[in-house]
Amino acid sequence: MRVVLVPHLLALGLYGLATALALAPFAGLRPAPRALTLGLPLAGAAAQVVGVAQLTPVGVAPVLSILALFLALLQVVSERVFRAPAVAMFTGPLATGLVALALLLGLGPGDAPSAGGNAWFILHVTLSVLGLALLALAFITAALYLLQFRELKSKRFGAVFRLFPPLERLDRLNHVSLVAGFPTLTLGVLLAVGYAVRYAGGMHVDPAQVVWGSFTWVVLGSAVWVRVVRRWAGRRAAFASIAGFAAVLLVYLAFKLAAPGTQRFL
Amino acid sequence: MSIAVVGVNHRTAPLEVRERFAHAPRDVATSLERLRSAGAGGGVLLSTCNRTEFYIAEPAEAVPEAVWAILTERLGDGREASAYGYLQRDREAVRHLYRVSAGLDSMILGESQIQGQVREAWELSKAQAGPVLHRLFQTALSVGARVRSETALGTGAASAPSAAVALAGKIFGLLAGRTALILGAGDIAELAASCLASEGVRVTLVANRTYERAQAIAEQLGGAALTLDEAWDHFASADIVLSSTAAPHAVVTWERVAPAIGRRRGRPLCILDLAVPRDVEPAVGQLENVFLYDIDDLQAVAAHAAAERHREIPAAERIVSDEVERFWAWYGGLAVVPVLKEFRRQLDQVRAAELERVLKRLAHLSPQDRAEVEQFSHALLNKFLHPPTIALKQAVQAGHGYGLLESLKKLFGLERQHGE
Repeated sequence: MRVVLVPHLLALGLYGLATALALAPFAGLRPAPRALTLGLPLAGAAAQVVGVAQLTPVGVAPVLSILALFLALLQVVSERVFRAPAVAMFTGPLATGLVALALLLGLGPGDAPSAGGNAWFILHVTLSVLGLALLALAFITAALYLLQFRELKSKRFGAVFRLFPPLERLDRLNHVSLVAGFPTLTLGVLLAVGYAVRYAGGMHVDPAQVVWGSFTWVVLGSAVWVRVVRRWAGRRAAFASIAGFAAVLLVYLAFKLAAPGTQRFL
Repeated sequence: MSIAVVGVNHRTAPLEVRERFAHAPRDVATSLERLRSAGAGGGVLLSTCNRTEFYIAEPAEAVPEAVWAILTERLGDGREASAYGYLQRDREAVRHLYRVSAGLDSMILGESQIQGQVREAWELSKAQAGPVLHRLFQTALSVGARVRSETALGTGAASAPSAAVALAGKIFGLLAGRTALILGAGDIAELAASCLASEGVRVTLVANRTYERAQAIAEQLGGAALTLDEAWDHFASADIVLSSTAAPHAVVTWERVAPAIGRRRGRPLCILDLAVPRDVEPAVGQLENVFLYDIDDLQAVAAHAAAERHREIPAAERIVSDEVERFWAWYGGLAVVPVLKEFRRQLDQVRAAELERVLKRLAHLSPQDRAEVEQFSHALLNKFLHPPTIALKQAVQAGHGYGLLESLKKLFGLERQHGE
């Protein structure tokens, strides 16, 4: 247990510290050096990789932990590649909270998948969670876009104006994360179907899950479609991203409320 | 040894005076040569639109007067240049240059242009600067860089043109490659368009009531000319519209531009209305993805940034003070060796004279005893000199040796002889 807990506790501390640094400028403090804002989440992610490597990716807690790991990595990419450090204001607390929640739920070994399908299963979990993390990033950048848009439209030149990235950069990051997140998640779900058929003796899924899962996929797909095919950009595209991720989140929460338990993620 | 700065700046002299004092690069060497003839050990001239300052190494008594004479000649109307200026010496002169380089003494606090001007002044005066000013200007540039990297003194847009660039930057990110449509062909439009062009914005169209004037500006900025009535359709494609016509009422109305803006597919449009009275109807700013800013908005952004910069002054002043002490420690170290040498030489002369006198009275001593007495005189002198030498060197290392050095020179009359 210690090989799982200690890296997670370390990651929790480092993510917490990175979050404090990300929020500091909004409290009127000087922005932290870039080496720290990039280094802390990277160090946290490195620690977490050690812990996650010991886990069987089954159940809510391990999946939350992996989601936190991807969010931390996407935070670094957003800052390094897109020069959007304000993303950390959301991804930081989210990653910290998810690791804390995973620790509270208990990070122990779960039901291991069948030996033959292990790689398939791990790929399914990795792609699905990466897809979710990318969609979460699309949601975050859309929210940042709308906040900066409101600030610029209403001519308020406060902390949001100064500290948030330019609109077009946020729009670009939103576009990339949404367009990458949707097929990644879709592939993850298809791998789950393949795994169930090939290794788990067929699909054992509630029809409600199929209906609501399809609904979510259509909402997300629509958000991608208007961006890519209809070439939506800016505020309308931001609302579409928010609707897509909100659909995923609400449907998941509804399923968990209908069938509580932490042994299975879905 | 000492350093001085003599000159005028935007606080002490009005523009009408400052522009007469401004030196073209070709005049710098002549003025500095005059100072060297007056007894300066070295000189650097910093001449910008906001200041004309002579930095002088080892200024003899006549040198400040020579500076005022040069500047008074430039006034040429019987007024004395010294009435507009200042003279600062030693630490205060060093502090002054460091503050200038950091942007603390600029008209727009924290502006970065001054650092390039300090560098140019140094490069232009290199031949006449001498080693002390060479070091002073090198360190001034690094102080400026340190203040800008360790404080937020240079952040934000603290002037209206830079606020316009900052606002457009908050919408588009990088401005390079963006296109601008200019409405109006007056001086303000031309100035603001140049400001955007310097950020890489392509001024593709210039529209004006009179086509000929639009054509003149468009040629300068590399764009095409239009009449105002032809401009409205281009609201569909331009990224930035900069408006500064002399019209007495709004020329950019909702009816004229809404159809074109509707074809933008959600792409943002930044409209900068620099005209008074305003050129753009406020209703245009209500259109989706249109960001409309007038001159008051630009000034609000600038005022906000200026307030932010003012909060950074104490941190910047601390860096300047640290660096002044560091320079002064180096400078004191530079001065201590020749002074100590002179001090020792002078006391050794006294020792030798007294020894000769006493040995004359002690003629009965054997050569061996005479050598002993001489040895004793050397040892005594060394014993006396050791504590002040060590104390002086330690004070120099700690950065406050210059005052002690000056005292030593005065107490033992070294200044005159050292100078000689």
